[in-house]
Amino acid sequence: MMGPRISNPDENGWVELNMGPQHPSTHGVLRLKVKLDGEIVREVEPVIGYLHRNAEKICELDYYCDSMIYFDRMDYVGAMNMEVGYLEAAEKLLGIPPPERVQWIRVVMAELSRVASHLVWAGAFGLDLGMLTPFFYCFVEREKILRIFVEACGSRQETNYMSIGGVYQDFNDKLIHDILEFTEQFPKKLEDIFNAYVKNDIFISRTKGIGILEPEVALDYGVTGPMLRASGVDYDVRKAEPYLVYDKINFDIPVSHKKDNLARFLVRFEEMRQSIKIINQAVKKIPDGPYFNPKAKKSLMIRLRGEGEVYARTESSKGEFGVYLVGDGGVKPYRVRVRSPSLKNLSVLPYLAKDQMIADMVAISGTTDLVFGEVDR
Amino acid sequence: MNVLTRLADFFAAFGHYPAYILAYLFETLFMIVFVMVSLVAMIYIFRKYMARLQLRVGPNRVGKFGTLQLIADSLKLAGKESILPSGRDDLPFRIAPIIVFLGLITGFALLPYGQFYFIGSLTVTHSDVSLLLLFAALAIMPIGEILAGISSRNKYAVVGALRGVAKDVSFEIPMMISVLALVMMASAKTANPLNLSNLVEVQFIPYGIPQIIGLGVFFIAMVARASFSPFDMSESDSELVSGHSTEYTGMRFGMFYMGLFGSIFLSSLVVSLLYLGGYNGPYSGYAGFVFLLIKGLILVLISFTIWLSVPRIRIDKFVNMGWKYLLPASIINLIIAGVLTLGLGI
Repeated sequence: MMGPRISNPDENGWVELNMGPQHPSTHGVLRLKVKLDGEIVREVEPVIGYLHRNAEKICELDYYCDSMIYFDRMDYVGAMNMEVGYLEAAEKLLGIPPPERVQWIRVVMAELSRVASHLVWAGAFGLDLGMLTPFFYCFVEREKILRIFVEACGSRQETNYMSIGGVYQDFNDKLIHDILEFTEQFPKKLEDIFNAYVKNDIFISRTKGIGILEPEVALDYGVTGPMLRASGVDYDVRKAEPYLVYDKINFDIPVSHKKDNLARFLVRFEEMRQSIKIINQAVKKIPDGPYFNPKAKKSLMIRLRGEGEVYARTESSKGEFGVYLVGDGGVKPYRVRVRSPSLKNLSVLPYLAKDQMIADMVAISGTTDLVFGEVDR
Repeated sequence: MNVLTRLADFFAAFGHYPAYILAYLFETLFMIVFVMVSLVAMIYIFRKYMARLQLRVGPNRVGKFGTLQLIADSLKLAGKESILPSGRDDLPFRIAPIIVFLGLITGFALLPYGQFYFIGSLTVTHSDVSLLLLFAALAIMPIGEILAGISSRNKYAVVGALRGVAKDVSFEIPMMISVLALVMMASAKTANPLNLSNLVEVQFIPYGIPQIIGLGVFFIAMVARASFSPFDMSESDSELVSGHSTEYTGMRFGMFYMGLFGSIFLSSLVVSLLYLGGYNGPYSGYAGFVFLLIKGLILVLISFTIWLSVPRIRIDKFVNMGWKYLLPASIINLIIAGVLTLGLGI
């Protein structure tokens, strides 16, 4: 007695397979509708929205200073970058520039956050390929960064450290000492993780020449961040349109012309090394001064009024993070809109995964570095 | 004189046939207990070893040093509701885990565990063609996996089963050719090289030394046979959820899980018997079993280390490897064995 048919192939003989939203390889809640021709993936349709929390609309119902927590929860693995992105827009709209000291502190925290985010990615990419061990080494290092965050603001992931015109708490000597201690031992550990990957022939064979993303296609889809730079386009907001004090810091933008999975891997690792370089410079250059703008005292914060429209872009760990704010002169923003880099990077997945094998599709979706808090908002 | 006849002598008071039946039951029971205990010990070692490599602590709550963790886990698995998917093919779905486990137990039953001075050879099933029977038993296990994949009516399971088939065809032939080379070498020394005990005892040096290529091919094939990473494409958890065992829960899943660890242990024992001299060694009449276990455990730890440190091979690359590298290598190895046996008379 035969049971019902396992699959109903369509006219091409392709079988539809549903991966996710609860699936080990779709980070977070990505759902992929995949058309399979045996082992070959013929079509991929990402379905998003499972983590939609209406963050933009909620921001419109809150005071300017209260929206920070929703931004923390967008890219929750690299929350400091989200805060920097929102504050770039909000401070421009409200006319409250942060003092010099705050700008340097924000650079340090944003880069630490970038390293933390890339470490999560580096570990999870190993899991995607079936490599279990580097994940733990990555998370041990990330834990050290999170300890620094706890020291600074009491929270690990959704830090809520920065506020309009300043930061929540000033840097003290112990924190600076901790950060320097971290940056001193980190490069060696990073090389260990790096070698665990690239000195492995199977890893190279799983990444080299797979998931080629041509630069023209990447630009057409609006891909940014490490994915774009791995396709050979030298574009990083930190250099192209410097914000905070990135123009006073000496660092390089890693670019690869190989365009494949391995290139994206190498670019992200090189970015971590550059971030450490930035942190080392920035920590030493933090000037004395107030750690918040006097115009943005905590008691006055909810009375801040903004008028006009502002678009600010920053380089988050995933790519170009844009925040568009419209103020109508009230204490709450009239419109908040976020340009999410993960969403744009995800949109190129159907193009990249077409006619690849299932295993390669998983690897490619791993290199896009998706965080669903940010894709769905 | 072997263990079975010794035991039969011991039970002789019950009469001739009942004594043999009792002896057989006794031996089988001993073997199943041995397999179970070694599985429990091995999974515990694996967890601790894995934790050590991954900067973790591993199980340390249940019992002293977490030694009872696995018993707790298996009780949990046994107590779980066994969910049966509604679209299943009922009979194959139910018997698939049993087939996997049956192949495993049969494999263990055929191995010689030592040649003792007083009680003779320690083997559960005495056969003159135990080598052939062993590979026949090993060939049953993939059938269970394929049945599981097809009968659970799940697309992930089907893809996993298809990968399993592709994997099996590509390593089976090189594996058998490298065993053939062994038999050729042994046939110069013994009248019946198809008996595993004879094959072990003729190894004046471990056959892994003259047959180094064969050892490599056979070890790769055995790791692939056990579905251990990097050859776990058929149950690759990041792609196919859990491959052929996706729809299994409770004790049925536990059987697949034990099959996984049991088959890596069985593979290691087979490799150490065929290539590393098995229980041969000084005082092997007393301690041969210990030599075999030590060799087997070292191979198991090597497999664990490989599992934990390399990514999964893509299925097409593995098939390529099987046909383009393993097969020619095993044929070269066969030629070497022929030259050694016929030309040099080793």
